[in-house]
Amino acid sequence: MSMFKDIPVDVGVIYEGERIRRNDMQVELGGPTVKEKFELAKVRPMDAIEDGKVTIIGPDIKDMKEGDAYPLGILVEAAGSTLDSQLEGVIERRIHGYLNYIEGFMHLNQRYDIWIRLGKKSFQKGLNSFEYIGKVLYKLFKSELPIIEKVQITFITDPDKVKELYPVAMNDYETRDAKARGLKDEEVDKFYGCVLCQSFAPSHVCVITPQRYSNCGAISWFDGRASAQIDPKGPVFAIERGELLNAEKGEFAGVNEEVKKRTLGEVNQVWLYTAFGHPHTSCGCFEAVAFYIPEVDGFGVVHRSFKGVTVNGLPFSTLADSTAGGRQIDGFHGMSIEYMRSKKFLAADDGWNRVVWLPKEVKERVKDFIPADIVDKIATEEDVQNIDALKAFLKEKNHPVVARWTEAVAVEEVAPAEAQAEEGAMMPVATAAALPIMAGGFKIILKDAKIYAKKVIIRSMKDEKKS
Amino acid sequence: MTTKNVHVKIDEMKTSTGLIKNLELSIGKVVDDSWAEPMGPTPMPSLTTLRDWDMKLLNRYKPFYMPDCDLCCLCTYGKCDLTAGKRGACGLDIGAQSSRIVLLACSIGAATHTGHARHVVDHLIEKYGRRHPIDVGGLNVKVEAPVTRLVTGIRPETLGDLEDVLEYCETQITHCLSAAHTGQEGNNLDFESKAFHAGMIDQVGMEVADIAQISTLNFPKADPEAPLIQMGIGTVDTSKPVIMCIGHNVVPSVGIIDYMKDSGLADKMEVVGLCCTAFDNTRYYDRAKIVGPISWQLRFIRGGFADVVVLDEQCVRTDMFNEAERVKAPVIAASEKNCMGFKDRTNDPADEIVADLVSGKVPGVLILDPDKVGEVAVKVAKQIAPIRRKMKVLPEIDEIVALAKTCRQCNMCQRSCPQDLKIPAALKAATEGNIAPLTELYEECIGCGRCEEVCPVKLQIHSFIVKAGEKYMIEETNLCRAGRGAVQDVEIRNVGSPIVLGEIPGILAVVGCANYPHGGKDVYDICREFALRRYIVVTSGCSAMSAGSYKNDEGKTLYEEFTGTFEAGGVLNVGSCVANSHIAGAAIKVANIFAKRPLRGNYEEIADYIHNRVGAVGLAWGAYSQKAASIAAGFWRLGVPVLVGPHGSKYRRMLLGREDKPEDWEVYDARTGDKVNIGPAPEHLFQTVETPQEAMVAIAKLCIRPNDTWKGRSIKLSHYIDLHKRHYGVMPPDLHLFVRTMADVPMTMKDEITAILEAKGWKETVIPDPTLLPRMIRKKKE
Repeated sequence: MSMFKDIPVDVGVIYEGERIRRNDMQVELGGPTVKEKFELAKVRPMDAIEDGKVTIIGPDIKDMKEGDAYPLGILVEAAGSTLDSQLEGVIERRIHGYLNYIEGFMHLNQRYDIWIRLGKKSFQKGLNSFEYIGKVLYKLFKSELPIIEKVQITFITDPDKVKELYPVAMNDYETRDAKARGLKDEEVDKFYGCVLCQSFAPSHVCVITPQRYSNCGAISWFDGRASAQIDPKGPVFAIERGELLNAEKGEFAGVNEEVKKRTLGEVNQVWLYTAFGHPHTSCGCFEAVAFYIPEVDGFGVVHRSFKGVTVNGLPFSTLADSTAGGRQIDGFHGMSIEYMRSKKFLAADDGWNRVVWLPKEVKERVKDFIPADIVDKIATEEDVQNIDALKAFLKEKNHPVVARWTEAVAVEEVAPAEAQAEEGAMMPVATAAALPIMAGGFKIILKDAKIYAKKVIIRSMKDEKKS
Repeated sequence: MTTKNVHVKIDEMKTSTGLIKNLELSIGKVVDDSWAEPMGPTPMPSLTTLRDWDMKLLNRYKPFYMPDCDLCCLCTYGKCDLTAGKRGACGLDIGAQSSRIVLLACSIGAATHTGHARHVVDHLIEKYGRRHPIDVGGLNVKVEAPVTRLVTGIRPETLGDLEDVLEYCETQITHCLSAAHTGQEGNNLDFESKAFHAGMIDQVGMEVADIAQISTLNFPKADPEAPLIQMGIGTVDTSKPVIMCIGHNVVPSVGIIDYMKDSGLADKMEVVGLCCTAFDNTRYYDRAKIVGPISWQLRFIRGGFADVVVLDEQCVRTDMFNEAERVKAPVIAASEKNCMGFKDRTNDPADEIVADLVSGKVPGVLILDPDKVGEVAVKVAKQIAPIRRKMKVLPEIDEIVALAKTCRQCNMCQRSCPQDLKIPAALKAATEGNIAPLTELYEECIGCGRCEEVCPVKLQIHSFIVKAGEKYMIEETNLCRAGRGAVQDVEIRNVGSPIVLGEIPGILAVVGCANYPHGGKDVYDICREFALRRYIVVTSGCSAMSAGSYKNDEGKTLYEEFTGTFEAGGVLNVGSCVANSHIAGAAIKVANIFAKRPLRGNYEEIADYIHNRVGAVGLAWGAYSQKAASIAAGFWRLGVPVLVGPHGSKYRRMLLGREDKPEDWEVYDARTGDKVNIGPAPEHLFQTVETPQEAMVAIAKLCIRPNDTWKGRSIKLSHYIDLHKRHYGVMPPDLHLFVRTMADVPMTMKDEITAILEAKGWKETVIPDPTLLPRMIRKKKE
């Protein structure tokens, strides 16, 4: 392990899932019993950083009492000629991954919620100083993110100092979030695409914009930007946004072109803000799916872990199957939860005004982003269990979709099953009543007829049409 | 749903458009094909339909023969000496003969599971009707029979539909078996291909058996939180009458449990099981208990714990009637396939049979009516237990010491022991009053009893070992999760992406028997190692018992320590042998549910998908049977590598890839049609490993797939390197073959590995959309 030969314990990806139980723990840093803790990344000017410096403010690990919990702040300050403050969030989230590679060092959560445990065994092996932790972070930041040219790391354990910096960090997170949410698709000239899922959905290209997270919910526009920069040959790449072809539907010339290229022509037009016409394709790992409910002319949204059936009697799996695999299916839209917090969420379809049903869990999660006048008008599984009840609910609450009901409601397609002989010739089976129907102006007389069929296959007409 | 023999007769019918007189309409079969998925290219494949696919695999993973026997004695031309390239009287050489034996073994295995399925389905149809719906997991499992759908193109909705599936299996097994007749196949690869075919059929047969019993007998339905079951000899309350069921077929046990419950005796008796029957008993009734794996049959009988022994089918010791008689435990044989020479008493009044068994007038009976088995077993156990409690069965220690002095130290016992256990030395120590070496043998012995057979002074060596280990035996109190059955579609959806991208480093299926010295502990260690590394660990059969037979530092068994969900770090027991089909089913469902590949009659494409993308490995640590051979063969055809433990070499051949031949490792990139070298991933299809350490390294390596993303590959390589370094002390010598781009290199080892790559003259390559099938290359649309 030449890279970490001066670290007293092993460092590797295999330690990522390691859990340290209370009994095995030397010390706890942050966590539920400590009110103030944080980790923060800041981009600084080149000359403000001393590359490789690790600073410890307050007691070091070896000075801490076995079994106790301590406050902690981790400050990663980076500089680079192409680095800008928009990448702070991306850098910061790497801290979690990197620290978990250290044997006997468990890191959970992020930002103001960090929870770290150091195991006794690793402590006994000599991992007794933040100096080592800092070295690991330093090496990994430098080797994995070449855009970082200089980086210095500070561990703050002095309770007064943590207390002092805590509000500063909180303020930083808030500013960053507001800025991220405020960034609009029109304000950038590059989107990002991801084809990671093509191995199971060959005609899927995820288009990631400031106002549209990846379907899986894991990649924001900022993440996409960082990935494309860091690993130009990787599955995430920049898309020149190009000309805005349709502002309402969200159609961009550059997106169409890139998608066409990456799907070998399978998909050549994408509308980002609608579930109709040319909706964004759905991969296989989208967090939630929006599905059109023709009876009420509105959308339901259901997330992956929802147990049971949605208001139209179908579970997530069936709805997901209707659109997964990189297809564009009218009325279905695989998406992330974060997209529901975006102003562009199904914007062309009237956004939240068109959403009629949501699982309670999702509603709670995105509540703050649903317009106040509509939030109580969207039903959950606790309000209604079927379409009739949903109709009544929407009517009672005067949901905006009710205004649309004066227009014709889509008629359900009824597919009558019809008999067909295996050989292709129509052949009546089993019911005598069906026999004369096929006469079409002729009179048929069957006398002493015997018909034998070795096998009769029944297919519905609907299926025939499809194939 | 399928309807058979429809017959319509109309004497006279007049309507406005026509007249019908004396119409007779007779239809052999009406098939409701309202399943929207169109039929794929290979429904109900014949012996040769998938031969091209098999040859693709067999040319990459060439059979390496290790004949267990150089002679062929199947026909009267023989015996033929096949050594040194000689051909036999029929013309076969040793390679073809070895693969012919493999085909025979796989056909026997497939026939056994399919025969089991046929019995279960016939019985359940009689009880529940042909129209009883198939339900293996309610709303959470829409793809109820992935293997059946894939192979036959049938979507079974009712018990009756399973009959069509079985008819297909039965035909194919007959063909497979007939191909092994003298003067049929001559080429070893053709024998191998047919063995693959038998293995594929075996998976269908197993699936049919399990979904039929899950649908009717209220087994856990794809439940990650199936109940924890008491396991081990120590959990059996021997103050109560004990009924012991051995084998694989739950039907007679259901008769016993029902009768016991109906007569209000549930709290007053113990129903315990050995081998897979134990699993299916506990899936039916969570207060039934698991004694342990197949190798504990003699142990439990010799220990005198069983008051009545009920035998069904498969893996039952065929001298069980003898053994049971020695401890005065009446035997009820309950399977047509395993009559044990007993008189058929199926039609006799139950009380008459009970009286004959309790009085010892007959040592055993054959009863082919499961309800009657239930009544007789319960009544006999109740009456005979008080009498048997007074018996002494195992020899006392001082008796052992005295008897050991008669040992001539001829070493025959050790020579005939399949594990070469040091029995003479242990007996010698016993003569000096030291029984510790005998006690040690308790952990190592697989309970075959061959030592006793050869002993010239007729020492009951196995009984000595059991007595010496008695203290451990009665302390065995563990927990095993009841077989959950299928993996939910929802679970597949959650892990589909990380599996296919490689971020969940692999799925390890630990199946079959753990019939090897310390085999149970080894299986436990291997399962735990990979669960901690956040692989998905799936168990079944006796290995699932072994996995639950040891505890961690906190006193928790594997099933308590890890979740039973199909997710990273989960340890799932799917159930008995026939539940193995759910493991293949899970891999198939990844391709179907997650990646939307059509399933119906589409074997080749799905196997190609699994082989290139789903990092699954099977491990049968102590496999011994023909069923294990056919289970493995089913995985081979799907392109899933299988490892067997040390005595797996007696399966006569391995399927080994050659990492030194780059031309063997080319795939098509489905995006471009280019041929891309993907390195030896996975390196072998069937391999014997000698130690658990070797197994762990091999497992990590065999989970590598060409489709891994760089992130997934770096995770897989981290585990491979870590295990290799730990157990061999050095970096893997073939590491460079698995690095496609620098991003594949685990980030914490970049410096070290970069140096290795440079030294090896490594060149960057691309990560393809891999396929072995030219027809899967995508056409560019304009």
